[in-house]
Amino acid sequence: MRNRLKVLRAERDWSQQALADLLAVSRQSVNAIETGKYDPSLPLAFRIADVFGLKIEEIFLRD
Amino acid sequence: MAATRSSAYRRYFRRHIGFTVIYLAAIALASWQVPDDARPSLGTVLIALLPGLAVVGWIWSMGRLLVELDDEYMRMLEVRKFIIATGSTLAVVNVWGIIELYTAVPRLPVFFVFPLWCLGLGIGGIANRLSFGHDTGRCR
Repeated sequence: MRNRLKVLRAERDWSQQALADLLAVSRQSVNAIETGKYDPSLPLAFRIADVFGLKIEEIFLRD
Repeated sequence: MAATRSSAYRRYFRRHIGFTVIYLAAIALASWQVPDDARPSLGTVLIALLPGLAVVGWIWSMGRLLVELDDEYMRMLEVRKFIIATGSTLAVVNVWGIIELYTAVPRLPVFFVFPLWCLGLGIGGIANRLSFGHDTGRCR
């Protein structure tokens, strides 16, 4: 699954650590999701969507 | 909430150190009280049981870590390590056991199963690094 996390983060000038703090996860988690190595669970995907104020499908895209 | 993740690890390390102290004290007591050639009796079995209970404590603390870790990615890395450790331990002890059946190689004492599993956690950590670029930084 592809995602737009890096772009969305850059638009807001957030570091991986800043996003990790907002999501209550580790920086490694944000890195793994951003680089497509790990697909988040649905609850975490909803949290990510809430943090960016977007819908899940506006962040995560099908391959 | 990196603090939550680290608090789960902090609790884990605190428990682990506690059980390690108990294990070392129990080993010292057993070595002091039970001679090498002691016949099995209620007393010797009870004393010899104490270090084993500390090992059960280590295993319990590892299980608690999985329950208490809020960070799902870190939990996934830990679970991968557990699976790799279990698979590699089963492979080693079963292959060695079959060799024991057919040849006169030294017997592998069952005491070594848990240390082998812990070694497997290290292999799991390497596998995590190779697959994901990170590990949890915890070997046991």
